[in-house]
Amino acid sequence: MAKFKTLAWSAAAAAAVLAPTLAQAHGIWFAQRAKQIAIIYGIGADDLESVKRLPGMESIQALDAEMNAVKAQLRTDGSLVVVDTDAPPKIVSAVLQNGTWSKLPDGEFVKKPKDEVPNAVSAETTIKYAVSIQGPLTKPVPLIPAQALQIVPVGTIPAMLGTPLTYRVTWKGKPVAGAAVINDFVNDPDAKDVLTKADGTVTLPVRNQGLNVVRAVYVTPTDNPAKIDRYEHTATLAFTLPHKPE
Amino acid sequence: MKFIYFAIASALAIAPAYAHSDTKPRHGGQVVEVGETAFELVRAPAGVSLYVRDDGDEVPPESMSGKLFVTLGTKKSEIPLVAAKGNQLLAAGAKIPGGARVDVLVINNATKARQSATFMIK
Repeated sequence: MAKFKTLAWSAAAAAAVLAPTLAQAHGIWFAQRAKQIAIIYGIGADDLESVKRLPGMESIQALDAEMNAVKAQLRTDGSLVVVDTDAPPKIVSAVLQNGTWSKLPDGEFVKKPKDEVPNAVSAETTIKYAVSIQGPLTKPVPLIPAQALQIVPVGTIPAMLGTPLTYRVTWKGKPVAGAAVINDFVNDPDAKDVLTKADGTVTLPVRNQGLNVVRAVYVTPTDNPAKIDRYEHTATLAFTLPHKPE
Repeated sequence: MKFIYFAIASALAIAPAYAHSDTKPRHGGQVVEVGETAFELVRAPAGVSLYVRDDGDEVPPESMSGKLFVTLGTKKSEIPLVAAKGNQLLAAGAKIPGGARVDVLVINNATKARQSATFMIK
């Protein structure tokens, strides 16, 4: 009975921690747009204004096939933010500092800390991370220090959709339990979260014979309780399964 | 009636072939197609050439700049390309050994859009 109570309490605590993630669900991911590598801000089919978020984007990094750093920078191309690299990249990554948000009693959010919002019921600072795999790899995806929350594929990316693939979610370079993962942030953003195990892993079928955007959310405690109640970290891993030759 | 079914089935069967496909070498080299862009890499005694076709059209070489990144074992080198004629970018005198991996980076000079492709040299 005591064990059951402990489990029930743990589940309730986890739900309480995860519940706020549902409201601040946007993320960033990489996708091809007009042949270029673009950073998308949004959720599901909502491809929102990434140019507006450009000032908050940082730690733009690229790696070549040997996982050596390649110079990378962002460029605005019309309504897109694209990544330019000085050599063909196999990995690109970015971070978006997405600001501090307070939740009002009616469920709306305002972009201020709670000490500036008298009726705030909660507040959080949100940070978005994104990694993309560009084509077949000959080496494992490394841990990227700027990606405090990172989704790393364990083993080789399969060729066909439906094949199970294990991912390890890391927080500051170490496997983390309890990160909430879904395997298609673009086409199934409301899917039920699967929590990572003690070793940080979760296994899910690869969903698309095309772009796959896996998403993980992890919440960490506040270090400034006067302003926020928590940090919400949202990471994506994007990769593509090739279609048949035409 | 049977003919109509046959005609519909035939039309559906060939539908995928209407998609872009441009993998036939035009200059005796290796072709890698990325989306609708076909890159043909040619190794010749005079040097290395990269021919670019986009959606079936030849891309004028002065509209782009390019570079080859050659990896063989632990050795890496970069080979700049210059505009030649037709749809040809050229590295005169350059040599690429068999077994090398060649990563290509091509930049559209007007839009700054970048494309890349990878060749495994036979």
